[in-house]
Amino acid sequence: MSVGTVSSMPLEPQGSQVLAQDGNAMVLSMGPQHPSTHGVLQIMLEIEGESVVKAEPEIGYLHTGIEKSAENLFWTQAQTVIERMDYLAPESNSLCYALAVEKLLGITDRIPERAQQIRVIVAELTRIASHCVWLGTHGIDLGALSIFFYCFDLRENILDVQEAAGGARMHPNYVRIGGLQADLPDGHVERLDALLKKFPTRMRELRAILQKNPIWQDRTIDVGTVTPEQAVAWGLTGPALRASGIAYDVRKAFPYSGYENYKFDVPTRTEGDAYARFVVRLDEMEQSMRIVQQARDAMKAGPITIDDAKIAPPPKEAIALSMEALIHHFKVVSEGIRVPPGDVYQAIESPRGELGYYVVSDGNNKPFRVRTRPPSLYNLQALKGIAPGNLIADLVVMIGSLDPVFGEVDR
Amino acid sequence: MPSPQTPPMDGSAIDPTALRPPIKDAAIERIAPAELRTRLQALREDGYMMLLDLGAVDYPQRVPRFDVVYHLLKMPVAAATPDQIGTPQRYRLLCGVPIENLSLPTITDLWRNADWAEREVFDLFGITFEGHPDLRRIQMPTHWEGHPLRKDYPLRGPAKERSPRPPFANKSNLVAGTPPSGRTAEALQQQVALRQAQDRKEEPKA
Repeated sequence: MSVGTVSSMPLEPQGSQVLAQDGNAMVLSMGPQHPSTHGVLQIMLEIEGESVVKAEPEIGYLHTGIEKSAENLFWTQAQTVIERMDYLAPESNSLCYALAVEKLLGITDRIPERAQQIRVIVAELTRIASHCVWLGTHGIDLGALSIFFYCFDLRENILDVQEAAGGARMHPNYVRIGGLQADLPDGHVERLDALLKKFPTRMRELRAILQKNPIWQDRTIDVGTVTPEQAVAWGLTGPALRASGIAYDVRKAFPYSGYENYKFDVPTRTEGDAYARFVVRLDEMEQSMRIVQQARDAMKAGPITIDDAKIAPPPKEAIALSMEALIHHFKVVSEGIRVPPGDVYQAIESPRGELGYYVVSDGNNKPFRVRTRPPSLYNLQALKGIAPGNLIADLVVMIGSLDPVFGEVDR
Repeated sequence: MPSPQTPPMDGSAIDPTALRPPIKDAAIERIAPAELRTRLQALREDGYMMLLDLGAVDYPQRVPRFDVVYHLLKMPVAAATPDQIGTPQRYRLLCGVPIENLSLPTITDLWRNADWAEREVFDLFGITFEGHPDLRRIQMPTHWEGHPLRKDYPLRGPAKERSPRPPFANKSNLVAGTPPSGRTAEALQQQVALRQAQDRKEEPKA
C-alpha cells in the first residue's frame, strides 16, 4: 500500500483518522474537529513516528461568503457582516472598513477628534480582549488551565466596558462610517478608570503564572522558530513578525485615527519562537493600555459624527425638530449612502497583524467589491513552512502562537 | 457644507479604477499579463520583499473583464526598529485578465505566500495560475461548480432541484397530505384514523 500524498487529499470532512500508512510514514488528518486547532482547521499531516514531515492546512470549513454578501448590501449594512469576520476583535474590522470608505468619500480629515479618540480606545480594548482569548486558549492547549480563567475574567471586564459603549458584548457595530453610532454613556470614564486600575494587577498575575514558568518555557522556547527572512517571505504581520525582530506596526508606519498623537512602543523580540510571540503579545497589551490611558485623558466633549447628513444620519433629537433631518435620516436608512467611484487600500493593525481592505466603489449605494487582506490567513499559511521537522505536540504550540481566527481565514 | 458625494454616473462606473480620486494609499501601476512576472521580479529586487495580498475584482462590462491586484510592501528581511522601517512604500499592481484567456503566470516561486491567495482567486473567480504547484479549490468544496465571487453568480447560489426527502421522512407523513380544511385538530384526527385503517389493511393476515 502506498502512502497517499497530502496534496491529493480532497477538502472533505474526514475527522481525525489515519488515511494511509506505509512502514514508518503515515498520513494523518488532524481536525477539522480538534480542540487545539482553535476552530475548524484541518491539517493533513505526513508523519514519521511523532515527527511532522509535511503539514498542509486545509481551510474553508467556515467559508460564509461575507465578501459576496457585502456586495449585495448597502455601504452601511455591509459593515455589519464585515464586523463578523474576526469575531474575537470585531471592532478592528469595522474600523478598518469605515476608514477605507471614508477615504473614498474624502472625509478622512473631517472625522471629529472625539470620535477618533473613542475609536482608538475601542480598538485598543478590543486588542487586549482578543489577546486574552488567545492566551487563555493557548494555555489550555499546553495544559495550563488556570490561565484561562484569569484571561477570561479580564476579557469579561473589557467586554462590559465595550457593551456599555456600543450596546453589545461581541458585535456592537459601534464604529460607523463618518464617526460613531452614539456618544459614550454617562459614567463611562469611571468604568474605564476602574478597568485601568485593575489592569496592572491582572497583568502581573498573567506574567507570574506563565512568563517564568519552567514548564511553559520548555514547551515554547525554540518551538516554531521563524527567521526574519521566513517571516517576510510568508507575509507574516503583527506580533508574529515583530517576534522575529522586524518592528513593523501599521499604527506607527501608516498612522490612522490619530495614532501619531500617542506615545507607545512597538514591542519586539529577536528569537522568533513561540515564546517570543507570547512575550510580544503580553508587552503589546500593556502598550495598548498606555494608549487607552492617553486617549482617555485627551478626550474632550464634542461631536461624535461628521456633520454631513448625506453620510451619517442626523441625531434623533434633530429628527424630532427638523423636517429636513427626518428626510435625511429616511434617505440614509432606506436608500443607503453613495460613495464616489474609485478603489482604495486601507490597512490597520488588528490584534493579528495588518488587516487590509481593498474596497472598490462604482458610485452606487452598495460596495462593488470588498477584498480583505486577512492577517490570520497569511499567518496560518506559514505553518507549512515552520511545522516540518517538529513533533505533533509542538504543532499545537505553533498553531496557538500564530493565533488564527477562522472567521477571518475563511470569511 | 456641501457633500463630497457625487451621484453615480449612468448608474455605475464601468472601470472605477480609472476614476479614482487622488488618494495617496500606494504607488499604482497597471500592467499586461505578459510583463507581469518581469515587473514583479524587478520590484522584488527593488526591495518590495513582502507580498501583502493578492486578490481579484470582476468588472463585467469592462474589457478585460477581471483585475488581479497585487499589493506589495517594501520591507527589510533583517531585524529592524520602527525608525529604520519608517513609512514603508506600498505598491499596487493591477493586471487585467480577459475572459477569453483566464490565465496568469504564478508567482509562488517569488513569494511563497502567494500560494493560498492564488488558490483563492482560482476558486472564487476561475482564473488559473500557470505553474502553481497545487491549484485546487480552497474555500469552496472540491466538487463545487462555478466561481461565487463573479458578478454573474447569483447571491444564493445557482437554482437546483431539491434533493428528495429520505424514506423515513416520507413514512411518518400523513398519506393524503394536508387536508383541505387545514391543520385543525379534527382534520388531523380524521387523517390519523385514515392512516391507521390503511396500516391495518397492509398488515399480513396470519
